[in-house]
Amino acid sequence: MASPMELSCWGGDWGLPSVHPESLVVMAYAKFAGAPLKLNVVDNMWTSPRGVVIPVLTSENTSVTQPTKILNFLRKKKYNADYDLSAKEGADTLAYIALLEEKLLPAVLHTFWVDADNYCTVTRPWFASRIPFPLNLYLPGKMSREALNRILVTKGEPPLYSLNDVEAQIYKDAKECLNLLSNRLGTSQFFFGNTPTTLDAFVFGFLAPLYKVRFPKVQLQEHLKQLSNLCRFCDDILGGYFTYNITGFSPAGQDTVDANLQKLTQLVNKESNLIEKMDDNLRKSPQHFPQKLTTLKPTRTGEESSSQHLSP
Amino acid sequence: MSLVADAFVSQIAAAEAWPENAALYQPLKGEQILLSDNASSLAVQAFLKMCNLPCQVICRANAEYMSPSGKVPFIHVGNQVVSELGPVVQFIKAKGHSLSDGLDEVQKAEMKAYMELVNNMLLTAELYIQWCDEATLEEITEPRYSSPFPWPLNYILVYQKRWEIQRKMKAIGWANKSLDQVFEDVDQCCQALSQRLGAQPYFFSKQPTELDALVFGHLFTILTTQLTNDELREKVKKYKNLIDFCRRIEHNYFEDHAKDTSAGGMQRLPKGPSLH
Repeated sequence: MASPMELSCWGGDWGLPSVHPESLVVMAYAKFAGAPLKLNVVDNMWTSPRGVVIPVLTSENTSVTQPTKILNFLRKKKYNADYDLSAKEGADTLAYIALLEEKLLPAVLHTFWVDADNYCTVTRPWFASRIPFPLNLYLPGKMSREALNRILVTKGEPPLYSLNDVEAQIYKDAKECLNLLSNRLGTSQFFFGNTPTTLDAFVFGFLAPLYKVRFPKVQLQEHLKQLSNLCRFCDDILGGYFTYNITGFSPAGQDTVDANLQKLTQLVNKESNLIEKMDDNLRKSPQHFPQKLTTLKPTRTGEESSSQHLSP
Repeated sequence: MSLVADAFVSQIAAAEAWPENAALYQPLKGEQILLSDNASSLAVQAFLKMCNLPCQVICRANAEYMSPSGKVPFIHVGNQVVSELGPVVQFIKAKGHSLSDGLDEVQKAEMKAYMELVNNMLLTAELYIQWCDEATLEEITEPRYSSPFPWPLNYILVYQKRWEIQRKMKAIGWANKSLDQVFEDVDQCCQALSQRLGAQPYFFSKQPTELDALVFGHLFTILTTQLTNDELREKVKKYKNLIDFCRRIEHNYFEDHAKDTSAGGMQRLPKGPSLH
């Protein structure tokens, strides 16, 4: 391989290498296939990649967008996680990815970008803090509008006239999809035996953000947490392939990130760990939303809770 | 629909037996219906035949505007109107007929996944070819879609529908795809279906399920419809087991009714080849 492949993606938080499903799909696949990617995390600097077309893979002056295309590109470079799959398993992969896109993606988009509580208290502040001024005022809103548009255009057909009806339908579909995935996974470690493949990357990419990100509105998260094998699946991949993340650093392999930013990331992660811990304590009283705790100062205790929380 | 409404509908549905005068509505067969609508209609017809439920096919120029979801086909059973395959399957299940009851949980998940694959790739590709490929739009889609309507309504309706489909393509990221990429997607989808089917008579061995009905509807329509060029059909023709699969379902479920309804593609477009 001549020059290193560089992946521009959204950064991580809440113990995830990336909070953005599509970035996470590519990162997970690269880990599974052993492809050396230099991660270029979008942060609050003008030099970092911008825009809504994330993730982008750049290699030798070509840039590839969209997870499926990036994965194909990696396969052409001989980084293939699906060598051991039979033809039928390859077909299954395609079918389950279609299932995820049709049934789960609308609800994931809605949870992140459309639900007003989640968007205002979590998604918009998180993404805005990683985009430089003045784009931070514009891009999150644009991404939110695009998500809403996608949901309405693909799912908002008659007789679902009001947004409430559409929401009810997409969450119902998403819960059914989670149940199907849980049934399909059963007790095996990954979807096709003991080695992770493309399908695992996709499922992990879509599920992990739902599972880990602390949202005020958690209807899909609560459903996911009841499906213990899917949670175990996410924890296994986080523990087995993204272990460095437990220390609170954003993804490894980026010498471009300066020390200040690392400190900041650490601080943010400590804070979120603390919130997680507090939140665990308060779980019995659901009226306490996590965002009410953000005013607390981060303390050392955050570190203990992080290892405790992330161990599979 | 809320859970209560769902439960209510299934209660009502369960109470009534399948009536003699059940009807399936679709656009005019000869001069109006489009590839994607014909595929969906054929899928529902195949499903009903597999369930052994008699249903009369009625062609109406305004079927699209009669349908509760704005999509064809829809069935009219007793005093209920249900449109599209997914809801029809649920409705029929509430009536006590189901093709997928014998499957275990993993197989059910697999069936749903493959159905989404067909919807996600084949159906979207059909819509793309009809409404976003200039040649097909001009030669086939426009005259057929607008045929029952007078000027200037014909132009307005075509424009409106085209705008709607293009908006959808943009939202799902297909707007920038070239026709070749779309054909490649179709090929990939057919390859997956062919590999999944293997040498079995149906996708889940001996008994047909709603997946078989859906795949049959789309593939049979693609195989028997004359478009501006043969590329789409050639993609499907490469897979011999899929062609055999279409023949098998046609033979088992449509043969004796061939005159009145069903294997619409063939009569609809004179240039379309027969499967025999």
